[in-house]
Amino acid sequence: MIISLKTGLVLAISAACLSHSFAQEAVAPMMDVPVLEEVALKAGVDHSYTGAWEHFVGGGVAVFDCNGDRLPDMVIAGGTSEAQLFVNNSTAGGPLAFTAVDGGLPDKSSKGVTGFYPLNLDNDDYTDLVVLRVGENVILKGGPNCSFTSANRAFAFDGGRAWSTAFAATFEPDQQFPTLAFGNYVDRSAAGSPWGTCHDNVLIRPGAVDVPNYAEPQFLTPGFCALSMIFTDWNRSGEPALRMTNDRQYYRDGEEQLWRVSPGRPARTYRRADGWKTVRIWGMGIAEADLDADGLPEYALTSMGDTKLQTLDEEADEASPIYRDVAVEKGATAHRPYIGDDLKPSTGWHAEFNDINNDGRQDLFIAKGNVETMPDFAAYDPDNLLLGTFDGKFVEAGGLSGIALNRRGRGGAVVDLNMDGMLDLVVVNREAPVSLFQNRGAHTESGPRPMGNWLQIELRQRGANRDAVGATINVKSGNETRVRKVQIGGGHASGHLGFVHVGTGVAERAQIRIKWPDGEWSAPYRVFANNFVVIEKGSDVVQYWYPPEAEETQ
Amino acid sequence: MQQLISRFTIPTVLAAVIFGTCLPLTVHAETPMPWSERAIFEHVDQSRFAGVLSKAELDELIAFGETLFGARFTTLDGGGRPMATQAIIPTKRKRAAPATFQRLAGLDSNSCASCHNDPVMGGAGDFAVNVFVSEGFNNADFDSTDPQFSNERNTNHLFGSGLVELLAREMSADLQGIRREALKLARKTGEEQRLRLVSKGIRFGWISAKPDGLVELKEIDGVDTDLVIRPFSQKGVMTSLRQFTVNALNHHHGMQPVERFGARWTGETDFDEDGKSDELTAGDVSALVAWQAALPPPGEMVPESTEWQKAAAQGGEIYQTIGCASCHVPALPLDSLAFHDPGPLDAAGTMRSTETHNGAIYDLELLNWAQELPRNEQGQIMVPLFGDLKRHKMTDRQIAAFGNELLSQRFVERDVFQTTELWGVGSTAPYGHRGDMISLDEAIRAHGGAGRDAREAYLDLEDADQTALIAYLKTLVIEP
Repeated sequence: MIISLKTGLVLAISAACLSHSFAQEAVAPMMDVPVLEEVALKAGVDHSYTGAWEHFVGGGVAVFDCNGDRLPDMVIAGGTSEAQLFVNNSTAGGPLAFTAVDGGLPDKSSKGVTGFYPLNLDNDDYTDLVVLRVGENVILKGGPNCSFTSANRAFAFDGGRAWSTAFAATFEPDQQFPTLAFGNYVDRSAAGSPWGTCHDNVLIRPGAVDVPNYAEPQFLTPGFCALSMIFTDWNRSGEPALRMTNDRQYYRDGEEQLWRVSPGRPARTYRRADGWKTVRIWGMGIAEADLDADGLPEYALTSMGDTKLQTLDEEADEASPIYRDVAVEKGATAHRPYIGDDLKPSTGWHAEFNDINNDGRQDLFIAKGNVETMPDFAAYDPDNLLLGTFDGKFVEAGGLSGIALNRRGRGGAVVDLNMDGMLDLVVVNREAPVSLFQNRGAHTESGPRPMGNWLQIELRQRGANRDAVGATINVKSGNETRVRKVQIGGGHASGHLGFVHVGTGVAERAQIRIKWPDGEWSAPYRVFANNFVVIEKGSDVVQYWYPPEAEETQ
Repeated sequence: MQQLISRFTIPTVLAAVIFGTCLPLTVHAETPMPWSERAIFEHVDQSRFAGVLSKAELDELIAFGETLFGARFTTLDGGGRPMATQAIIPTKRKRAAPATFQRLAGLDSNSCASCHNDPVMGGAGDFAVNVFVSEGFNNADFDSTDPQFSNERNTNHLFGSGLVELLAREMSADLQGIRREALKLARKTGEEQRLRLVSKGIRFGWISAKPDGLVELKEIDGVDTDLVIRPFSQKGVMTSLRQFTVNALNHHHGMQPVERFGARWTGETDFDEDGKSDELTAGDVSALVAWQAALPPPGEMVPESTEWQKAAAQGGEIYQTIGCASCHVPALPLDSLAFHDPGPLDAAGTMRSTETHNGAIYDLELLNWAQELPRNEQGQIMVPLFGDLKRHKMTDRQIAAFGNELLSQRFVERDVFQTTELWGVGSTAPYGHRGDMISLDEAIRAHGGAGRDAREAYLDLEDADQTALIAYLKTLVIEP
């Protein structure tokens, strides 16, 4: 009954979208379409996300450098299988190459894992890991050479017993350590479970001491089964709010949520009186991007059926978060499979904006996959690669690019794994091997060719918040400005920390300005495209970074 | 026009008919009416000119390039850009240009040869054909001639530019090799490595690499931080003839090459909305590059007057002793005359060697002038450019005439310029980046900053020695 109702709603929602984005795959886009070659096994990545109901959701991956070489390593959730750490041995532009590190995570943090987020929590030289689990969550303190130890006790962190599926972090003003937010799913022990029994979510601010102290959580009630959350400066106030996307499958009278998180005050939700409009979707993942560089971010919200693409409405003001959905007009609904005969609604999970073809426009990756065997939803539900078009819309290129595998995608990351300036793609699949796509360049009849220009930018600052979480990166070339944020959260149970990628199209140089987390603007930095740029707060010059070349590793 | 038809279209078509197996030179060939106002009747098919070109193929391509260089583009060819600015990055105007021609924002000519014509086509230009660089007004849709929005530049000559680009490529490879070596050593030893950046005897400061792969850029001197020597324009900010050509075709003529303004990068085949799609092919640009790259280098002429000969000989020695040669280096060694087009250093938006299977190699050795180039003991060609392909600050507190621009350009400060190559200086008055110095003496006296010591040494010379130096410089000419 519930499923039927849901299906009906989805179909109704989707009907309006059919004429816009369906079958766009048939016409090759004018811009470059990347050739994404699946190389997981060749690259040494053999891993699956497995488990029963509790692991129908989750399946995340954290991509970050855990051994100080700046190459992105990976930790992938396993559900009932052990989570797995993969150390990156790739060389610049070479084949993707990883080594699985057995026992790389402490026992407790390797089982029952739904997702991971990387974060330098204690401001040392090593990135830490937040482990989302079915059961007690764990903070793993990073150490040398990809070593991790549980820090729950050291940081006075009670991991609880909930079924955690979402996470986000921010550094609030004058705080040495980050504020953490955990999103929880169904409270399986509550009466009437699973329906209408969503766990509360949790906001934990660091205690005012010299070491992280997370002893005092604030419960964010009501919880509506959050599957993704992100701290976002939605109104350019400099004070990030906490955006959550919630799964209507299990909540009652719930909706999407935006929590005001003012320093020193309890978080509270924006309400209808504030202009917040009720949106009910099967929220699975959040991707944020400032698509029009106006300082006001847009949000892609994955769901069953159509993806939402929300932009701030003209009626909104800095206190009124009024959003409208522009997914239809932008061609970003991705509501059912773009190839094959299965016309049922699809199921979206991880979402991430990035410029995968380096043409200067943001693209949108969406991991897709049936929850398990839901008959009213597409069984063959390939992941989407929506390329940003010249007129500000999106066009599907998943099939042309090679990512339309018959696997049930969940988490993922769009990251340059072999430091060649072209974004690669990792997708965690449910009950199927992880997909690892190496970006070979733009598709042509005679083989791949290089795509547009790019920059990759790493921010550093001394003291607290080493990785400048919350910073805004503005990259200006000619009249074009491209905006990126350093954020921890969003996606589906998956996070990335490290170089921030910016495609610059035909621009061979750019000026970068940083709005640091404390609100201070940097002077402009002049950089040449196709470089890895490291910017330290307060420095008047950048440094370039060069990845190891093949001959150096022989 | 008639000449174009007779030289290319008809022979090509005839050859194709007669020999059957021959391929046409071009694509999109049309038979024009005798009174046609078009300047281009055919476009070069790049695939016809792939790999190492034979002498005949190279000559054919060069000839077409010469035709394009001299062509006066019309609206029928796609000349004009009513809805595109002159910016290097394809940029739309907010409203249609009020006039086709405009001295600052362009169009400012309808032929390359309109400005590059002194003493012959491909040469420099008088003050009357100064151009205005686009930095600072990418989105200009106004008709201001206020210099605060642009820098006024004199037209450079292009003779020997193929050799200049080859030198820049080899020097870039040297510098990047040093960076690679520093990184390799740093990673191997675990200690920071600081190496001198030097190529062909020209020093570009120092580079420091750390064991974690970070590179300090602070001590790099006279070259961009990516260690690409960009040898073209008075600032030294254009990487290649190809990049310069693509920029200029749009800026000056509103002729938009597909490789930057085509659908791949803009989503449109007629980005400037002048009713003409795909105005110039990759092959057309290649032809223009080939023609420019094949222009002979200026030489050192022997004056008929014995008195001038004597003075020039004396001036040549003075040139060395007072320090002119420290920057205006008489010759730099070049290893190879194989000119790859596309080249190895361009970025997306200018065709790259890695994105085509139809790249060509122009062996400049096949050209007559190449046989006359001097070589050193190692067999290297000694390119007599009288330059160092390095940027220098040209002003100081007392001498600041070269600091008369209001805007930096492409990251290069307003008073920093690449050393002007002096080959051809005897044929290309006026002087200075703005072309506002009438005599060589005046230009020498304007040297401040890095050129201050040589300037002072020049001022300390006896009048006869100053005259001798001028006599020497006047022997460096473009010989038609």
